[in-house]
Amino acid sequence: MATTVSLPPTPYTATTHKYESGLWSWLSTTDHKRVGQLYLYTSLFWFLVGGLEAGMIRTQLYGPNGHFVSATTYNELFTMHGTTMIFLVIMPLSAAFFNFLIPLQIGARDVAFPRLNAFSYWVFLFGGLFINASWFFHAAPNAGWFGYAPLTTRPYSPGLNIDFWVIGLQILGISSLAAGFNFITTIINMRAPGMHFMRMPVFTWMAFITQFLIVLAFPIITVALTFLMLDRFFGTNFYEVSAGADPLLWQHLFWLFGHPEVYILILPAFGLVSEVIPVFSRKPLFGYPVMIYSGILIAFLGFGVWAHHMFAVGMGPIADSFFSITTMLIAIPTGVKIFNWLGTMWGGSLRFTTAMKFAIGLVALFTIGGISGVMHASPPSDLQQTDSYFIVAHFHYVLFGGSMMGLFAGLYFFYPKITGRLMGEKAGSWHFWLTAIGMNLTFFPMHFLGLHGMPRRISTYDAGQGWEQDNHLASYGAILIVIGTCFFVYNWFRSMKTGKVAGNDPWGGATLEWMIPSPPPDYNFATIPNVTSRYPLWDRKSPRLTAEVPHGSAAETKIDVEVAGQKTGTLPAPSDTTGNAASPQPVTSSAKQLGIVMPTPTIRPLLAALSLGSVFIGLIMHKNLPIMFLAAICFMLSLYSWLLTPLEPEHH
Amino acid sequence: MTRDLRMRWLTPALALLLVLSLSACTSFTPNSIFGAHSQFGHIVDSLTRKLVVLGAIVFVLVETLIVFILVKFRERDGNREAKQFHGNATLEIGWTLVPAIILAFIAVPTIKTIFETEAKAPPSALQVEVIGHQWWWEFRYPQYGITTANELYLPVGRTANFALTTKDVLHSFWIPQLDGKRDLISNHTNYIWFTPDSAFAWNGFCAEYCGTSHANMRFKVFTVAPAEFDAWAAHQKTNAVGSAPPAPAPGAATDSAKGTPPVTKIATAVGTTTPAGEVAPPPVATPVMNVSDTVSATFPRNKLPEWVIPKTPTPAALTFDASATGDATRGMTLFRTAPCIACHAIRGVPTAQGIVGPNLTHVGGRTTIAGGIYPNDLHHLELWIKNAPAMKPGSLMPLFGKAEKGATPGVYTDQQIADLAAYLSSLK
Repeated sequence: MATTVSLPPTPYTATTHKYESGLWSWLSTTDHKRVGQLYLYTSLFWFLVGGLEAGMIRTQLYGPNGHFVSATTYNELFTMHGTTMIFLVIMPLSAAFFNFLIPLQIGARDVAFPRLNAFSYWVFLFGGLFINASWFFHAAPNAGWFGYAPLTTRPYSPGLNIDFWVIGLQILGISSLAAGFNFITTIINMRAPGMHFMRMPVFTWMAFITQFLIVLAFPIITVALTFLMLDRFFGTNFYEVSAGADPLLWQHLFWLFGHPEVYILILPAFGLVSEVIPVFSRKPLFGYPVMIYSGILIAFLGFGVWAHHMFAVGMGPIADSFFSITTMLIAIPTGVKIFNWLGTMWGGSLRFTTAMKFAIGLVALFTIGGISGVMHASPPSDLQQTDSYFIVAHFHYVLFGGSMMGLFAGLYFFYPKITGRLMGEKAGSWHFWLTAIGMNLTFFPMHFLGLHGMPRRISTYDAGQGWEQDNHLASYGAILIVIGTCFFVYNWFRSMKTGKVAGNDPWGGATLEWMIPSPPPDYNFATIPNVTSRYPLWDRKSPRLTAEVPHGSAAETKIDVEVAGQKTGTLPAPSDTTGNAASPQPVTSSAKQLGIVMPTPTIRPLLAALSLGSVFIGLIMHKNLPIMFLAAICFMLSLYSWLLTPLEPEHH
Repeated sequence: MTRDLRMRWLTPALALLLVLSLSACTSFTPNSIFGAHSQFGHIVDSLTRKLVVLGAIVFVLVETLIVFILVKFRERDGNREAKQFHGNATLEIGWTLVPAIILAFIAVPTIKTIFETEAKAPPSALQVEVIGHQWWWEFRYPQYGITTANELYLPVGRTANFALTTKDVLHSFWIPQLDGKRDLISNHTNYIWFTPDSAFAWNGFCAEYCGTSHANMRFKVFTVAPAEFDAWAAHQKTNAVGSAPPAPAPGAATDSAKGTPPVTKIATAVGTTTPAGEVAPPPVATPVMNVSDTVSATFPRNKLPEWVIPKTPTPAALTFDASATGDATRGMTLFRTAPCIACHAIRGVPTAQGIVGPNLTHVGGRTTIAGGIYPNDLHHLELWIKNAPAMKPGSLMPLFGKAEKGATPGVYTDQQIADLAAYLSSLK
């Protein structure tokens, strides 16, 4: 393919890994790549569910006074669409990449806490099932993903709906926090020799920043939800307005979490696109340090803008001015990122693979979301825009045009690394164009709907308000997105069987993950590589591409580090086996044969997650104390058993 | 190969452009935020237009740059080598500073407008208390002692200052063509004020999600000439039609005891609140209401614009006996002891003092019912009384039709409901 340097095969090709198979191996896995795939498939499933909800919303709103679903059902649909897409799709889909890629990109054999990693996934799975189980009780959450008090308090929402929501989000928060600490530890401690912070791949950098956002922002929503849970189950008065509570408490807590959450959703996609664009431009990333600093700055400023969601609550001119200015400031580092991507493409040799198309899609579409974002950073103007369809348009450009486009770019880009085969480019192209056109057709008219006075979250609107045409267009666009998604699903499963065999490095990648076989063996790297620049693989295969980027001194390349009883050497030259074999290479040597110590599989994280989840089941069953007590004991026992079992087999 | 590639992406790209231009083609926009008709609207409008223009410039520049890069630097003839550079300090400082300067151009007028629009309303302003309920609006005019629901009357040229509170969950008060949103927050009082500058009828919406019938919590606003407003206010202050007995009713007596000014004082009140030295533009309203001609002194129905008349279809399953002709007198007798009075008040009817539902004193003079989602006519009133929850999802008003199925059993025959509707309709 694009690789210009052909090198003789090395032992790496012979060590292609064959997974252990069977249900048990998946339930007990602690391999970060398998946990990543579990995240991947679970979140893609929820993507279809969330999309189905979106489709029903667009059917209802196709014309005025729609009666496809009742007002009650509509309110459940838009609440669950938002909750699903944010907590069960974009976040875990990013987590799938964190899991799969971070150890590979930093040259590690697994994450710092492999069992905690498995535990995170099982808790996430349980939380998603829990919150969606509400559908079967005809009690899906119905107060919006933002769940403003006092609508969520018992007097105004007496049913189980909000119970499912508040407990479900708590469960998902546990998962995110556990994963966050895990990845921070992994990235700080497990980088390969020579991989300084300023040589880390940009995706890993953005993931690193995201984890800090998660561990700083999730405790806030946890507090807010705990207050609500105490109100609903134990009669406290945090949000109980009849007892004099101030409902703005919830809003401040929620958005103090909610705005960093927006960056939790977008930064991983920025990271993925920063991997894809240089590879298909055949150029190093433009302004690497600035990309990193702007990411850090976005995350930092992201904690100081929350009240721009609240310009209509009457905070007074001083607060409005403050949050207006901070919000405008955050546009600057975001703009820098856009321009640096363009700078990367400038002068490049652009190859329009499907991954690249989606990456460019992010750059082009996120820009639109950014511009409308600046428009409602101006409070007087925002008073006309907030809670109207203009906002719906804005954040779908950010989250669909931004996050989802970036994640799709990542999926097409890393599919060969995950499965060993390439995804079909033709079906991929259909997927991209249908999604891009459908997405614009759906969300661009919503700008006009908002400016023409259509409020958000309404289950129906009257005829003759000038909203019919744009709502028609939006619903037609949704159909295109659905068709595009069908191409994606078809392509995904068909390529798994018949896709072209990828080899180690199908795209001419620059970072460590492209050095090892696809799919990688369970131990990832037989020898821990020694990193000399930001683009270790280009250093070997296309040195001309990295001639301009800073490199380590000669002394650095001599670093010897003992990992699992083995001395690491310098980076061996990789091989290029693209298209040479009919199927991914069969396994020849396992971790055991190579003397690499890997964590043993264990069912204990799953048991811990299940018993922890059962505590919450007891809570929602009208505080069923015996169940809660029993589950808590099971949780403690499984933790003990987890802690008393060694992580790895005994050293020999 | 290369040419093929170019052709292939050109078609969908053009389709995309077509789509974007299509959506801008709506010409009929009765609730547009750009059609400002108040001092507030004009200030915000000019700011928003500035933002739109700057946004459009940035949009065109960036997207053109993207397309240019994609065309110019696409891979050609296999292996054209990319130019290798990975940063440029001047450029990077440049594209940090330029957005900062653009933002400064937005920030300065923004801060100016914040302080302008959030200043205290002039003391001469018309005071209106807006009270949010699931899912209807209560409006009170404390200077006039008026309580009404779902329909606002505002004099052109006089600043109206709204004090916003809620009886239950959060709501948001929004009249796109007159003002921005301001939330109704429990245990808070929020304020927003504006000065309407032309006489017409407008749509208002609840803009903060407030539960089941959030979509059905609308209201109407009528901006009228000051003289017409005075006439309307004077009429609203009177007791309900047919209810004024020779001796003052206990209900009316209660009002006087509370210190609400009697009708005669209104003229003085209006006189003293005429803007003195206020910057508001002089009233440009051409009278629309024929004050001398109509008892009710309300916005004439035949002059209502199409988009202010609700077109919500009634539930197909809900029918009404067409032969039942209501009698207002019978309806009045029934009403005075009916469950209606537990929630609704009618000024001058001693038994009807409920405060949970909308005040019905002059309900017959309103153009809409049920939170602005149905036109106020006999047919809709009858269906509404018969089965409100079917007419409006989640309605806190129970059903009253005898055969209807719902949470509570209904008690009235269609004939009785027709009488009630006839009575309510007569309360002009």
